Amino acid sequence: MKTINYHAAYAAACALISTSTWAESPTLTNPAISAVLDGYYQNTERPMSERVEGFGLGHTELALSANIDDMFYGKLTAVVESHEGETELGLEEGFIQTLAMPGGFSIRAGRFLSDVGYLNNQHVHTDSFSDRPAAYRAFLGSHYFDDGVRLNYVAATDLYLAMGIEAFKGDSMRAADEHNEREYKELGVYTAYTKFGGDIGANGSWLAGLSYMRNENGRLTADEHESDEHESEEHEHSHSAQYTGENTYIADFVYKWAPNGNYKYQHLTLSGEYFKVTDFTPLQGSGEANLGTQNVDDQQGWYLSGVYQLSPNWSTGLRYGEVDTQEMHGDHFHPQKLEETELSLAWHNSHFSTVRLQYTNQKGTNFDGIEDDNVFTLQYVMTLGAHGAHQF
Amino acid sequence: MHINSNLVKVAALALSMGYSSLANAGLNIFACEPEYAALVKELAPDAKIYSATTALQDPHQVQARPSLIAKMRQADLAVCAGADLEVGWLPMLQMKSSNANVRSTDHGLFFAAEHVDTLDKLESVDRSMGDVHALGNPHLHFSPYRMLEVAKALTVKLISLDPDSQDQYQAALKVFSHKWSLAIPDWEAKAASLKGKKVIAYHSSFRYLFDWIGMEQVGDLEPKPGLPPSSSHLASLLKRTATGDVMAIIVASYQSERGANWLGERANLPVKVLPMSVGGNEQSQDLFSLYDSVIDLLLKI
Repeated sequence: MKTINYHAAYAAACALISTSTWAESPTLTNPAISAVLDGYYQNTERPMSERVEGFGLGHTELALSANIDDMFYGKLTAVVESHEGETELGLEEGFIQTLAMPGGFSIRAGRFLSDVGYLNNQHVHTDSFSDRPAAYRAFLGSHYFDDGVRLNYVAATDLYLAMGIEAFKGDSMRAADEHNEREYKELGVYTAYTKFGGDIGANGSWLAGLSYMRNENGRLTADEHESDEHESEEHEHSHSAQYTGENTYIADFVYKWAPNGNYKYQHLTLSGEYFKVTDFTPLQGSGEANLGTQNVDDQQGWYLSGVYQLSPNWSTGLRYGEVDTQEMHGDHFHPQKLEETELSLAWHNSHFSTVRLQYTNQKGTNFDGIEDDNVFTLQYVMTLGAHGAHQF
Repeated sequence: MHINSNLVKVAALALSMGYSSLANAGLNIFACEPEYAALVKELAPDAKIYSATTALQDPHQVQARPSLIAKMRQADLAVCAGADLEVGWLPMLQMKSSNANVRSTDHGLFFAAEHVDTLDKLESVDRSMGDVHALGNPHLHFSPYRMLEVAKALTVKLISLDPDSQDQYQAALKVFSHKWSLAIPDWEAKAASLKGKKVIAYHSSFRYLFDWIGMEQVGDLEPKPGLPPSSSHLASLLKRTATGDVMAIIVASYQSERGANWLGERANLPVKVLPMSVGGNEQSQDLFSLYDSVIDLLLKI
């Protein structure tokens, strides 16, 4: 993420907001302009997280979206984050999408969130927990957005069936290179995904997906002799995937339930995802010969989450997740594991304001020195302006 | 020579209907709410109709769920209330379904509210006012005169998408308009005794109904549109009922009765659940029986 000074960030923010003077009553056809305010206090750190200890701003976001004309839709999402006295302005989305391609096809180009997995294409402020599951933080850098292009297809069937392919630069998915010697491929990441979904009776709806991600720059380099010391310094604030590999497989599902399908008062969301990352060891002959032949387990991660909206004002969520990764130490790998049990309670004054209290228990094995930590987070997420609809 | 022109028209109509129903496979129509599915059924009986919501679901808070994306992907026409009622989910369905047909009102998208004068339009909108609609109240299906206007405009839309069946659509509109225009005075006569009656209701769901039959909503269970009834707000409504002029507390079929029951018990007022749309109770099978049911239920109080 590019760091610029506070005044520039403020000016950019004002530039985005001032356009709202000509869009006083946003409709389906006028630009939707919105800001999401996210602030928190956290008693300690979560590994691989974008949130740091103490007070902080999370994804404070400015978004502008509209149909450009009869053929194109466009969206721009800027994220402002504050870290150690510095204000960072990042561009999380800046894409166009076709609106009028025939046959259920559409193309998205620019910078956008990849459609792999279930959570990745959702904006983090819609989450029911203050951070993404450990598997997302480890393998996708919390949420994977990048510059690239997507071709998506929706079938004309009563069972929802969509599939797509994407190609990205993949900068944030590159395996670490400590000595700045490595030559990366410019077109780094390719994905393919498919999603199915439908209703079960009048009360339930479901969506399931399978995704594959090919990361051309995902293999580690062999000569990371002093990797342990370097790694621990990098955990402060990162938007990149910490653990990469050449191939990533993701399976995901979500089931939502509401009495009579009426989401106004109560509803339940059950979701889960499984990640498998393979082929991360350095290739033979690229340095230490024995590394490539060493038998190392694949990296894995998963989570299960249940969120219950008790009333329009209150919701509560329970999530368990773990991640098993491999850390390279010179000529061998150390397996490490992180388990997280999380409980969240949120108060919603309206659809647009949330105050959340979250408790996380982290159990680690060789993971950043974590053994049995308790993390408390108090957070608000509030939306102002004409905010676009959210996905299922 | 004087020929009965009506007879000729009817004969021509019958002929063309017989002919075109052979040619017409029927449009695939996605209705956002059941009242518009019912209206489409009156105006395009051959169409394949799908209703995205039921009368037991709040149309403000619908999930852009996979089944709806799949249905919208196949639609030739989407018929919705408009006035931002579906702003929380319809744009996502349009985006996700990759169906250019239903993207714009120039093509296969129809917003009922665009064809009538809505009540309670607002000059400026602020979120502190709650979840309000600047384009006016979108729950217009309880205004029989407006529904007649909507039916006419929808017929124009159907013809523009399926010109081969023009005569059929015009005939169906004629039949519907005739039946509907005959029903209106009957409903008005039946509801005459309700004129001037005061109620407390949930949201502005029945704004057009009360406007039509001359009832007055003197209190809203919601402190602000979209916010659930709070205890302090209910307490203020209880004070309002002390004057003794409130007839009943009204909630729609998708709204919680909790706040209404609390108030009803303390104010000694009846709580009545009215079907918000077709399918909201057993009696409401189409638009006609929906109106009948709502007026019957109000008269029983």
